[in-house]
Amino acid sequence: MVSEREKVAHVVRRLSMGVHPDRLDALADTDAAIAAALDLTAPPAPPLELPVPTDYRNQRTGEIATAIGWWAGQMATSSRLVEERLVWFWHDHFATSIVKVRVPYLMYQQQLTIREHATGNFADLLRAISRDPAMLFYLDGITNQAQQVNENFGRECMELFTLGIGGGYTQEDVVEASRAFSGWIVNVPGRRFTRDDVPLWSAYFVPRRHDAGEKTLLGTTGNLDMDGALDVILGQPATGRFVASKLYRELVGVEPDDRTAARLGDAFASNYAILPLVEAIVGEAAFTDDTAVRAKARTPVEKLVGLVQAVPGAGAAGEGADRGRRNRQLSPLGQALRTMGYIPFVPPNVGGFPAGESLLGPHQLVHTFDLLAAVPTAPDAALTDDVDTLFARFGLFDVSDRSRDVVAGERDPGRRVALVFTSPEFAAI
Amino acid sequence: MTPRDWEAGVSRRRFLTGLGVAAGAAAASGYGLTVWRRDPATSAGGDRLASGDLAAGNGRTLVVVEMGGGNDGLSTVVPLDDGTYHDLRPTLAVTDPIDLDGHVGLNPKLPKLAERFAAGQVAVVEGIGYPEPDLSHFGSFDIWWSARGGSGNAGWLGKYLDGTVGFDDPLAAISIGPGPSRALLGEQSFATSIADASGLQPRLPDWVDDRDGLLAAWAGFAPASVDAATLVERVERAIGLTGTARTDLDRALGERPGGDGGAAEEEATEQEAMAGQGRYGDRTVVDSLALAAQLVTSDAKPRVVYISGIGDFDTHQGQATRHPVLMEQLDTGIEQFFAALGDDEDVMLMTVSEFGRRPAENGSGTDHGTANVHFVAGAKVLGGRYGTPPDLHTLDRGGNLEHHVDFRAMYATALDWLGVESRPVLGDDFEALPVFRP
Repeated sequence: MVSEREKVAHVVRRLSMGVHPDRLDALADTDAAIAAALDLTAPPAPPLELPVPTDYRNQRTGEIATAIGWWAGQMATSSRLVEERLVWFWHDHFATSIVKVRVPYLMYQQQLTIREHATGNFADLLRAISRDPAMLFYLDGITNQAQQVNENFGRECMELFTLGIGGGYTQEDVVEASRAFSGWIVNVPGRRFTRDDVPLWSAYFVPRRHDAGEKTLLGTTGNLDMDGALDVILGQPATGRFVASKLYRELVGVEPDDRTAARLGDAFASNYAILPLVEAIVGEAAFTDDTAVRAKARTPVEKLVGLVQAVPGAGAAGEGADRGRRNRQLSPLGQALRTMGYIPFVPPNVGGFPAGESLLGPHQLVHTFDLLAAVPTAPDAALTDDVDTLFARFGLFDVSDRSRDVVAGERDPGRRVALVFTSPEFAAI
Repeated sequence: MTPRDWEAGVSRRRFLTGLGVAAGAAAASGYGLTVWRRDPATSAGGDRLASGDLAAGNGRTLVVVEMGGGNDGLSTVVPLDDGTYHDLRPTLAVTDPIDLDGHVGLNPKLPKLAERFAAGQVAVVEGIGYPEPDLSHFGSFDIWWSARGGSGNAGWLGKYLDGTVGFDDPLAAISIGPGPSRALLGEQSFATSIADASGLQPRLPDWVDDRDGLLAAWAGFAPASVDAATLVERVERAIGLTGTARTDLDRALGERPGGDGGAAEEEATEQEAMAGQGRYGDRTVVDSLALAAQLVTSDAKPRVVYISGIGDFDTHQGQATRHPVLMEQLDTGIEQFFAALGDDEDVMLMTVSEFGRRPAENGSGTDHGTANVHFVAGAKVLGGRYGTPPDLHTLDRGGNLEHHVDFRAMYATALDWLGVESRPVLGDDFEALPVFRP
């Protein structure tokens, strides 16, 4: 039987990237927790002011640390809780990596685009991402042109972003969609073809690079361009169901049954409004069922945010991640995330970040300790004197006697914090 | 036969007896999966293996080198006597390959592998793929990692672990790379993943003054026995296993100065980052195979080492400059690996990749393709060419190569090497390749 406090924490864990313990304390019950998590009335944080690079060469990929630090700060402190959960979800969904894009500025612009649409409309988000400069680099859209179709984006768009594997498309559909997507490039500064009438680093459409011929995509024939193809894809029931099911797994922690997936997906596909889909999923009995509590493995990023919120003085340390004049050296915290294969803006592949059981292996458990680098100095004894209070700061209320005893058996405040942070209960979400 | 039939119909004792007989026959004939397959007791469905279902370890090690992104086979093993190759690759054809036999040549950046081939210790297996190829990285990796054997998320080597060591030995298989490979993901087992020589050592902040004390206390979270029904219980069990694995791995990788950020380590990190052009999370195959050699020559010799995350083989563009670098690293890595093994002949190395690349270039690179060539190397390998060379004249509708050897024949070969029956793992019969010396 899950306690009411634990269930309140559960609701917040799933609908945010973490919440400060004082804020959690103030939530009376699960209804209040849901309302607080979905409340978007607070103004969004001002964006970073990043200088516009003047050259594609000499990019310092290490500068992505600044954006990572900013983002981690948003996760840890934003009052717009569900927005942070969804920004992460869409980054994982439209996974794009600095490793290939190489321009931190573009990764950050993509982050702002995701933020703009995260709680808004999926169709708008999809259209924006399809012509997002970082994505055009990442999945080779910039090389996709008539006569020389590059299928990379076309395929992943259908397989991972919209219809899903088994979503009823064929290799021919991949080719036809890719033809429709052709012709978009990025205005890179300092090149022979750099244009003055287009902002630097933004994407623009070049008609002569576009395959303007007739295409047949998923049974629809016409002279489809990017938005035309996306409309066809968005019109497929499989798209609504695939995306709704994925968000259901993200929030509930288990797979929806076929009927639920169809019901939620078809409602979603009627207008692709994201927040109403979140509300519908949250309204499912499964969301607050006892079996949903701690049914997911907590990701390294979620662990880090929880730590920063629990321990006063801890920082997500974007600043300082960038030491070393060559800009390539990661801070201890950056190294910890790298070891765990879990750095924001650096998904291992376009399929997104690891999840599930693979987060529970010895490797992941051992290197969870590495994240303690976010705490710069020994924690204060006042924080750790009472074991239950310490667990509560990490949002843990129902804790096994054994776990409690392990922590109570240590006197040193640092070791107490380290143990709560690496406890079996905290490894779940 | 469904998995249920298999569970109900095959008693473990009979199954193991059958394996014992088969193992004897296999030893006698050098490789002998055909013998095993004739035993009706072993014709089983593909999933839900439990610890002990498969044969015990035989002291051998399988090392898999995964070239993620899709290695270009036609730039790796180059056709010498087909002008079409140059028509399809006007700018990317490899012009100075190392002639192996008058028909194919190795990439010029693979000179040491060519020497090893000449010494008869490398099998070149051509035409590897599977029916109805999936041209997406993820679709195709999904097929390669799972071997499509039965249901669930488990990887093919994860199933091997499920059926042999179960949860008891997380060091039976070690994944070297940015994270655990899905090929090693089992339903009833753990594989350990390490990124570098620090192994399973945490890097603790300065304010933790007693690492050993902390880790000893942490081990207390693990109960004596676990039900593992809930996720939290699965974490508890994993904590218990981690303690033992850490100690063993530490011994295998040797004493290091704490692994918590000494000057030498910082220097190494910086150099590594620079060499990788800021490719976070990527190591070269040279580093990874050096680590593999350390493990294989240790007391904790793993049964399986799986190397991934060693560079981006997805050469849609810039192939002319990117691919040679990858080949050079592969060559150096394999050479140094075998040199480090000394006279240990019980190690087999095999390359994999989710697909090959399209025969026709796209201007500056190559797009996703299908059938591919791979290497099997080791002291017990019977060197030579196997499979069917690519036919550049009969491409499929997408302009891709036909496959002639199912990739699971490679897996059957590897499982054969490890001394277990392949059918329960792969879910069907696949003939192992005769690549080992009798």
